Parts: sequence; C-alpha cells; structure tokens
Amino acid sequence: MQSTRIFHVPPGSQDLLPDDVRRRRRIQRAWFELAEEHGYEEVIPPTFEYEEVFTRGGGEGLSARLIRFLDRDGRVVALRADFTSSLARMAATRLVDAPLPLRLSYAGKVYRQEAEGVGRRREAFQLGAELIGHPGPEADVEVLRMAVAFLRRLGIRDFQINLGDIRFIRPLLAGLGPREAERLREAIDRKDRAALADGARELGAPAAVARALVELPELIGRGEVLLRARSLASGAEAEEAIERLRAVDALLTPEEREHVVYDLGEIRGLGYYTGVQFEVFVAGAGRAVGFGGRYDDLLRLYGADRPAVGFALETDALAELLPAEAS
Amino acid sequence: MTGAPLRVALPKGRMMEEALRLFERLGSGIAPEDRESRRLILPSADGRFEFLPVKNVDVPVYVETGVADAGVVGLDVLLERGPDVLHPLDLGFGGCRLAVAAPEGTPYPHLPGGVTPRVASKYPETARRFFAERGLQVDLVHISGSVEIAPLLGLAHWIVDLVQTGRTLAENGLVVLDEVAPSTARLIVNRASHKLRLEEHQRLISQLEEALEGAASGAP
Repeated sequence: MQSTRIFHVPPGSQDLLPDDVRRRRRIQRAWFELAEEHGYEEVIPPTFEYEEVFTRGGGEGLSARLIRFLDRDGRVVALRADFTSSLARMAATRLVDAPLPLRLSYAGKVYRQEAEGVGRRREAFQLGAELIGHPGPEADVEVLRMAVAFLRRLGIRDFQINLGDIRFIRPLLAGLGPREAERLREAIDRKDRAALADGARELGAPAAVARALVELPELIGRGEVLLRARSLASGAEAEEAIERLRAVDALLTPEEREHVVYDLGEIRGLGYYTGVQFEVFVAGAGRAVGFGGRYDDLLRLYGADRPAVGFALETDALAELLPAEAS
Repeated sequence: MTGAPLRVALPKGRMMEEALRLFERLGSGIAPEDRESRRLILPSADGRFEFLPVKNVDVPVYVETGVADAGVVGLDVLLERGPDVLHPLDLGFGGCRLAVAAPEGTPYPHLPGGVTPRVASKYPETARRFFAERGLQVDLVHISGSVEIAPLLGLAHWIVDLVQTGRTLAENGLVVLDEVAPSTARLIVNRASHKLRLEEHQRLISQLEEALEGAASGAP
C-alpha cells in the first residue's frame, strides 16, 4: 500500500509542469503590471491563519470547507481559504495607519475542502485586488473596471459580469428563522420559481414581498432591468440597492456595459458581502471564474470600521482558457 | 451570442420521451430517423438544440460542468446529488415520490429491542438527511439497483426508493411507511451558460412555461 501511495498526490491537489507554470506566471505578471498601473501594491498574507479569520466573515459556506489543523499550542489553524479575509485583517491591524484609500493586490493559492468527482481542486491559484476606505460607487466601478481590463488584456473577449446587490434581497428574508431563510436563499440562488412561490405562500409573506420573490428569477438583464426592479423594491434598503446599481451603470463606459448583466438574484458570494456583489463568467468555462463585491463590515471585526470592495479571479481557470497563441 | 445550438442533457428512458414531446411543442423536435439512432448527440430539426441522451443520474454532472447548457432531470436526482446548477422550472411530468418502504408488518420508525435499522437505497444522501432530521439513527446500505428485494434477502429492514405506481412494491409484498419527498422533472441550467447566453435561456424558459400552461389548460 505504502509503496503505491508515494507515486500519487492526494485527490484535488496537482503537480504543475513547466507548461502549466508558464501560463500561470504569464497571467500573474500581466496582473501585477495592470495592478501597479492602477496604483495597487502587492501583499502576501500567511499561508495559514487562525481559523477565526475565515469563519467570522466568510460564513458557513467557507467555514465548512477549511483545511484545519491544531497548532502547537492547541489553537485551530486553517490554510488560507480566502485572500480577502486575510487582507482585511492585515489592513485593519498592521496597515491601520496607512493613508486611505488603500489599494492592495495579491496572487497565490487558496486551499479548500471540495467533494471529489465534480472536477474541483482543493488548491487553486487566485489573483485579485482590494480597495479599502472608499464607500462610493466610483470604488465599485474601479474594481469592476480592473477585472474587465484584465480579462481583455489576456485576450479574453466573450465574458459577462453578473452584478447584483445583496441589499435588494435582505429585506425579503428579514424576520425569518434561519431554516426558512436558508430555504429561500437557496431557491433565490437556484432561480427556482416553483420553490419561491411555495416559500412565499407557506411563510404567509405580505403580497409585495411575495411578488418580489416570485419575480426575482426574472430580474436579470441589461440596464432596463433596474427600472423594472425599482417597482418591486421593498423598502429603503432595497431602493438603495437599485440606486447604487444605477449609479454604477452610469459610471461604466458603453464598452464595459456590454460585459455587465444586472441580476437582482445574485447572492452567491461569501458571507461578508454587504452591498454590490458579482460573479465573472467566461465562455468555455462551465463555472464562474471570478467573484467580488463590497464588504463594508468585515474590517470592523478587527476594530477598524472601513468600507471596502474587491474581487478575485481563478488563475487556473484563466490559464486553461488563454488563447493558444498568447501562451 | 455564439450561434451554436444549446446543448440539453436528457435522461434516457421515459422521461426523455416526455421531454422530447415538450420540445416538439416548441417546434424543436428531432427527425424520426434520428430518434432511433444511437448517436451521442441528437440535433433538433430546427437546429436550435442538441440533445445529449445520458443516464439520468449523470444529467447533473453534464450540466454542472458546462458540457451541456441545460438538462432535464428528476428532483429525486437533484436532491441526492446536490449539483451547483439553476433549477428554473418544474416541468410537471415524471411525477413520483421518494418513500420509505418495508415488508408489510415491519415496525417503523423503531425496531423492537432497539436494533439499529439497516436501510438500503440508491439515494444514500437523501436518506441520511431524512432520518437525521427526524433524529433516527440508521445504518445505510448503498446499492445501485433492485432495491425492493433488499428486505426480502435480509440486506436491510427498510428501503428508501422511488415509488411511481406502487406496483413494484406490491409485487414484492412491500408497503410505504413514510414519505420522503415528491419528485417531478425539472429543467436545470448551467450557471455560466445562463449568463453568457442569457437571451436564449430566457426564451427557452418562457416558451417551456407557455407550453406547460397550454398543456395544463387542456390545449392539444
């Protein structure tokens, strides 16, 4: 048994051979070049952290996927599962006196437990940026713009950014027990009309909320969808969400706008997102190759109350998508 | 955007026949000579779709990975596999239920003497969740076919299986003890494809909805 084991790597890990490395390094070099042009400086967080760094902000989805071990003193340590969590900690502690806004970039591996058999790796390269200390739509657009510019620089043309704002949905889930809220969240995330209609009925939701829930799967499209969504907004928070997305839309160039789809049912992201959030899809990849959003409450966990927005892209997925002549 | 047909994974068997009838109502049936062929990919006559006939439990994999843009599959399979895909539409056909069954007279939900029940199923995840939610401890035995004979051969006390008409159960002297979940065919859609080819998916979903409403209100 032992003799065969040392010839393999564990499931979900992999060797990267010279060709694989060349593609990834090329992407990382292009990334840091672009990040520097935009005034972003690279930081390297530790490979392992106390698990709370990931569990407090990242939500259950991330907590359940940490690769943990006991440290010498008995504390639970986790391999880096998310750069944003680590960078938020850094920005709120070591960099707390740095002038704002703070622009940070990174590239490296994240480690997450994944089920076998659906083609997900347990270690994956990511790259990304965080803009800390700016609350406005200009900051949201700055990071969106970087993601768009970077994909174009890599020669990728056919891609869509799916953009929503969690504040549109939050009031619809207000006052529900954790189980009911989770059920509705899942139905929203799956655009499951039948389950949304059932959920609204069983929970005895007020007519306006029920209508918004059932319409959610349809609230996806170009700018005009924001007008449609406005009539369904339930309360001030949902209206703020629409106003923010409209402000973002107004700041985008026509060329950038071609790559943006507004999706009020977009709730995929990690637990710390508080406002706009998005996923990036590229033709040829069956899954999202990137995600991002606003996390205005995350730094407060470390005592520094600062708005922030950022994004991450999956470097491995991009490496597999690179046009052949460009690699 | 790409102009290529949308690829739709279909579960071989009766559900595929029903799904193809539904697509026929959209004007996207397949040519009769293709229907009998053993080709891996069956194009719709109007060129809008390509159908991938695959084993029903594999439909979610093809859709989740993006090999297929969409698929048709029973809710039972979705509950068991939990694929990361969109479920925009209940297609209504393929109705059945997942149920706990056992030979007539078998005690439920507790066996005498505090014996831990052994439960055979093709749906171990769904069964595990179901019993855990009720606070019942069971030993699950994962088998891949002829589940209804497991209690007769002494492999398990109970089974969790799909019940359509109940005839197979009755033929083996089994009765339903508890309901796990009802199931019907669902349209599932790959998350990336849904965004990259949004207009095509929105058109498909609304056309399917219309066709289903037409069928429900008695139109031909």
